[in-house]
Amino acid sequence: MKNRYEAAKNVFIDSVDIDDYIELNSSVTAYKQLEHSMDKPLKMILLFGRPGTGKSILLNRITEKLKHQKEIHYFDTPAINEKEFFHKLFKVLTKKDLPKNTEVNFSALVDFCKNLRGKREIIILLDEAQMYGPEMMEKIRLLSDTRVVKFIVSLHKTDDEDLIAKEHFQSRIWEIIELKNATKDDQALYIHKKLLKQNLYEIANSIKEKNMKMIYTFTRGNFRECNKLLFTIFEICEYYDKNEPSKINYENIPKKIIEMSAIKLGYVDV
Amino acid sequence: MYDIKPLEEEWKRYKKKKMKPWYSLIFSILIITTLALSFLNYKDVIFSKLENNSSVSINKPIPTTVLLDKALTTLEVKKEIIEKSIKDNNIELETDVSSIIDDPMRYEHPNAKKVSIKITEPIKKPVIVEKPRKKMHLNIIETTSASAYRDVAKRFADTADTDDSLFLARTYYDQGNNKKAIYWALETNKVNPNIEESWLIFAKAKARSGHKDEAIRILSSYIKRSNSFEAKALLKKFKK
Repeated sequence: MKNRYEAAKNVFIDSVDIDDYIELNSSVTAYKQLEHSMDKPLKMILLFGRPGTGKSILLNRITEKLKHQKEIHYFDTPAINEKEFFHKLFKVLTKKDLPKNTEVNFSALVDFCKNLRGKREIIILLDEAQMYGPEMMEKIRLLSDTRVVKFIVSLHKTDDEDLIAKEHFQSRIWEIIELKNATKDDQALYIHKKLLKQNLYEIANSIKEKNMKMIYTFTRGNFRECNKLLFTIFEICEYYDKNEPSKINYENIPKKIIEMSAIKLGYVDV
Repeated sequence: MYDIKPLEEEWKRYKKKKMKPWYSLIFSILIITTLALSFLNYKDVIFSKLENNSSVSINKPIPTTVLLDKALTTLEVKKEIIEKSIKDNNIELETDVSSIIDDPMRYEHPNAKKVSIKITEPIKKPVIVEKPRKKMHLNIIETTSASAYRDVAKRFADTADTDDSLFLARTYYDQGNNKKAIYWALETNKVNPNIEESWLIFAKAKARSGHKDEAIRILSSYIKRSNSFEAKALLKKFKK
């Protein structure tokens, strides 16, 4: 029989799987805001927020939801170079693979887009856009000016990335959507919903309010950090359950285990 | 999960570090409580010391001890004076001098002897009702010089005071000078013929000078006039 904590641990493996998406008040708001912006005749939309605030999963979610309604494409991993990026873009626009030993002519691509105006409206979601260089971002802007391709650019909120946003998108981006860390209540709801989604009701119930407060103190509402911490907590629980059952309380996650997990992840300086 | 033991050790260190401020706080509270309790226990002693110090400085100008000594000294002196004066006047002292201490506010020393005065007998003053000149006469008695008798005789010549003449008669008789005793007895009788002693001294001086019959005749004549008991006794003595 599979250890109960092993199942709980796997719930919190960090991924952008659409099945892992949890509807929270904050995420629903962001989703609706983004959906509404996409309906507007905007050329570029900036999705902005610190790592682990749910940008990628939101892009993934909206792609899954709207892929049957709109021509929407999700570029989850940034292209290593310009050639690769235009290969991918060529395929999206022409719906054909680029012949071998050929390269995309950017001017020709812009002209192609201009010919599609009024016929198609393509939405491209660019995750981790901070990986793209200034020159490529400039070309993305020129493509968006054709009003055929709409780009939703997801950026990490760091000082450098703020600078990129200022330099390349300040005058061109029409709307900015900022994602923030979850509140304490949202994070508790997130943890519960995640566990209940996998029918781990008893374990969800063993995480009491004071445990939730501790978890929030360590993770500050960041979903990625929360996943990491919960994963580690259940990993330790799994160990005790198998090797030293006397050290674990099945009714209540021991405070000691949460603190040990925080120490292991470096949230606490010993 | 292979690193659970080192993780547990780390957690113990973390726990100690986390509890450090609490231990410090508890320790501080204990120290403060101990100090507060100690202060409360010794508060009376500390305050009494402080009060003593302050009272000494305040009362310095009028030290109590000085007052005590002064009072005792005064008491002793007075006692001596009183005893002396009482001795001089033949007064018997029993106890309690407090009534003669002037200052009623004076500190009463616990060891001070209570002295009271009880006069068992009235003071006997010499019953000499004399004129001021008699005092002079008494003074002369104390002297034996011949000039003193001359002064009394000279004064008698001025004043005709029978006391002076009788004194001279008595003195000369006592000294065995019958002639002078007879002279001053006659002088006294001339001034006042009723002084019995003068007649007796005259008769005795006559008899001692060998004129016993004349002495008997004078006494008989005086007895007839005065019927004096002493004159009769002397006459009887002469007649034997």
